[in-house]
Amino acid sequence: MKAKISIFFSIGLLVYLIDIGLNPDDNAKNIYISDQEITSLISAWKSQVGRNPTEDEIARIINNLIEEEILYREALLLGLDKEDRIIKRRLAQKITFLKQETLTDKPSNEALINFYELNKNNYYIQPTFSFTHYYFSAENNSKARSNAAIKLILSSSSKIKSDPFFLGKNFIDKTKDEISRNFGKIFSSNFNEISLDQWSGPFKSSFGHHIVLLKDSKPGYFPLITEVLNQVEVDLLAAQKESAVTTYIDQIKSEYKIIINPDLEF
Amino acid sequence: MKKNTYIRKILIGTPLIFIIVLGLIFVDVYDSRPILNLFKKTQSDSALQLVDYSVDKPASSKAMPAVNPERNAYFGDVHVHTKYSFDAYVFGVTASPDDAYNYAKGQGISHPLGYEMKLREPLDFYSVTDHGFYMGMIQAYADTSTDISQEDFAKPFNNLNRPENLNVESAAERSNIFSSVLANAIIQPNPWWHPDTLKAWFTKNTQRALNSFDYDIHKSAWSDIARSANEHNDPGHFTAFIGYEFTTSTDTEGGNLHRNVIFNSSIASIRPWTRIDSLNPEDLWTWQDGLRDKGIDTISMPHNSNGSNGQMFEMETFKGNAINRAYAEKRMRNEPIVEITQVKGTSDTHPLLSPDDEWADFEIMDKRVGSRPPTYSKPSGSYVRQAYQDGLTLDFTKQGNPYKFGLIGSTDTHTGAGSFDESNYWSKVGLLDGRPSNRGSVPLNQAQGKLLEEYMSAFNQPVSTVELDQGSYANTGFTQWGASGLAGAWAEENTRDSIFKAFKRKETFATTGSRIAVRFFAGYDLSSIDLNADSLVSEAYAKGVTMGSDLMNEGNKAPDFLVWAQRDKNGAALQRIQIIKGWIDMNSGTPHEEVYDVACSDGMSVDPISNRCPDNGARVNINDCSISQDAGASELKTVWNDPDFDSSAKSFYYVRVLENPTCRWSTWDAIKAGFKPREDLHETIQERAWSSPIWYVPAPSDITVIPLGGSIAIGDS
Repeated sequence: MKAKISIFFSIGLLVYLIDIGLNPDDNAKNIYISDQEITSLISAWKSQVGRNPTEDEIARIINNLIEEEILYREALLLGLDKEDRIIKRRLAQKITFLKQETLTDKPSNEALINFYELNKNNYYIQPTFSFTHYYFSAENNSKARSNAAIKLILSSSSKIKSDPFFLGKNFIDKTKDEISRNFGKIFSSNFNEISLDQWSGPFKSSFGHHIVLLKDSKPGYFPLITEVLNQVEVDLLAAQKESAVTTYIDQIKSEYKIIINPDLEF
Repeated sequence: MKKNTYIRKILIGTPLIFIIVLGLIFVDVYDSRPILNLFKKTQSDSALQLVDYSVDKPASSKAMPAVNPERNAYFGDVHVHTKYSFDAYVFGVTASPDDAYNYAKGQGISHPLGYEMKLREPLDFYSVTDHGFYMGMIQAYADTSTDISQEDFAKPFNNLNRPENLNVESAAERSNIFSSVLANAIIQPNPWWHPDTLKAWFTKNTQRALNSFDYDIHKSAWSDIARSANEHNDPGHFTAFIGYEFTTSTDTEGGNLHRNVIFNSSIASIRPWTRIDSLNPEDLWTWQDGLRDKGIDTISMPHNSNGSNGQMFEMETFKGNAINRAYAEKRMRNEPIVEITQVKGTSDTHPLLSPDDEWADFEIMDKRVGSRPPTYSKPSGSYVRQAYQDGLTLDFTKQGNPYKFGLIGSTDTHTGAGSFDESNYWSKVGLLDGRPSNRGSVPLNQAQGKLLEEYMSAFNQPVSTVELDQGSYANTGFTQWGASGLAGAWAEENTRDSIFKAFKRKETFATTGSRIAVRFFAGYDLSSIDLNADSLVSEAYAKGVTMGSDLMNEGNKAPDFLVWAQRDKNGAALQRIQIIKGWIDMNSGTPHEEVYDVACSDGMSVDPISNRCPDNGARVNINDCSISQDAGASELKTVWNDPDFDSSAKSFYYVRVLENPTCRWSTWDAIKAGFKPREDLHETIQERAWSSPIWYVPAPSDITVIPLGGSIAIGDS
């Protein structure tokens, strides 16, 4: 009785083993090609060539797809995907795009205001200055002449003998950066202290000395968010995109242990 | 019976068809090609199709500065490559046009080797001018997600610029790709019956016939460049021109005929006109004329004439025909200015051409551009000063003057970021010369030297290292390059229109990277102007002509020249101003030149016999590159008269402003790395600026000029 059962059992096992031997891992060898994939390939063909593919051509498209899939799977089986920089890079790219795309497209008003408050300095409107000046060339005793000239102009208003300045006489609505570009930083640093409608100086520049009459100065200010809303939105989206990947990496990084040879010589 | 009629039909029909075809061919051999022209009627010209690339952007909150009728000096660079250039991408550059414009506005961007590139001061105008030829294609080959990258010819480019491959050691792979793959494998046409070949013919768009070319990718690269220029263009504050480089050369000798083309509009052609359309610059001008007929103005600006093997400024046309007036006018209509200086050397003059000019040996680059191995480029016909003289000679023989151009400088950087500063230099081809040892300013270590030798022998190139006192140096030609090239323009305001007009009237100047500015006027009553009055400039404009103009003869009077230069406040002080005069002998057309010092620094005056300023004592300390602080001028101005003026001689005058000497980049590189400067290179240079010339036009001569050979095609009318 026992022997009979064990015979049946052995035969069952044998059949099972033969079955496995003849059809190993059935599912792994199936290639499913979705309708979607085919239709998208056909429409790509259509837009390129300008007509529908013939039946032959469809067969060829599908055949290409199949061959590609087979080669791909065989390559995976051989482990060709391991340590391939191109594949690594591509996958890294994919997850980067994925992280960037999961952002909501339209930032809320609250987010915009928060972003604006945090980055206010980027939207600061610089103070500007309008002034005229007398220039005394460094080629011609500029220090002494400009000192004499300021005394003269403050005591009476007689005509001053000065030199023409290469970049002109009157400067309208210039920011400090622009003044630095034209005269040098030593010169523009004086503009915080100069008082309006009064000849001041002499001030040294990269080209000599100047006496300056400040006609107008507009203080710098932070614009209302409504004035720069477009720009804030553009900047916020850009910042979000940029930070999406870095925050993701930062979150994950702690789970990894990084090992680098400390003795590597460059 | 039936069989017989068939045979009869064939017997009669075959010769009949044969005769008809023969007849058609016979008719069509005439020059007018009537039959072929019938087919040509069906062609459309894709290069003349216009696209408006304007972008919607938030209105600028900044106020528009006032217009200055006396004109401001604006500085810029109109020769910049980004990743869209076939070679820049191969050089490891990943900077986009947006990155390039941000750099020009003062932001730091990243060099392919990882360090930051940043300007000391922002620029006023900039133009990204990627190679039109294969624009955008290499990038697409490298991006493995595109279809085209899967083609065989694209394989070597796949993921070329992945981050871990951005290193100097990949230079061998890169140079090899650059010259061999590009030259041969890619430019294979499809067979004649291929749909793309037919499309190419019907739309006059040859590149579409090439197997490796994808028109959509090409167009999208070009439209991104145009979009970026329009987005960054900020009237009143920053000007960005849509532009590209027409990268052509002579066929056999490889003489460099490169030109940059910029558009005066947010509208541009749907694609750049490239060397695949034609190698002949005259065809480029025809295309530009065509665009002008449609209301879009462009200028093209030749560069690196120094590497043209004498072919940029030849005495004959591209096809070897005689130059005539129509040619001269067409060239000048489209090419008002020339880039005299850039990273790959300066093209003012050569010591062999100007043996009496002590400053002629300046940043000479004597190799043909892109040649392999670097091959000698003949000086004659390659330099600007001689071209001006030859222009006068051509004019003497009644052929017109095709060489009456103004001057600018620019960099030709391929990293998106121009390198203007000797003390902070990154050359221009990314990974290939981004490190001092690679550009030959400090010795190679053993591994680098070995690598370079192996690579050179692998590609059958001559030995390119040289043994000097401090060791073995790379000698691949980069030592002849330098931190150079700025364009200066005198314009009423910083807008596209105003600066473009300055280019057109040649009111431009060039510098070697320093922001030296120079004014230059000529007239018959300029000595009456008070040089110390504020009205100096407005009077000079009223009484004279400025750079780029003609000064017409006025009763054989001798002209006055007024010149005024201002130093770069971040550079060295000025040493002297010179006026360079060229003229021809009106009896024989023989060219002459003379260099006059006209203003000296430190209150010194010009020696009337030697026409030279005395030494102002400015020196450079080669151990640390420090310079004398007490010598030199912050500005120089004078009115000058030509002591040898001949009222009957066709002549030109241009200004050269010289700074006190400073360290050359190679010296800076060496010192920073703890070496002495290399003994076979110049240790110092004198940064300089050149104005566009003023041409003196004498009264018409009554001498009859009949060249031997007596061609009547040239004519006088």
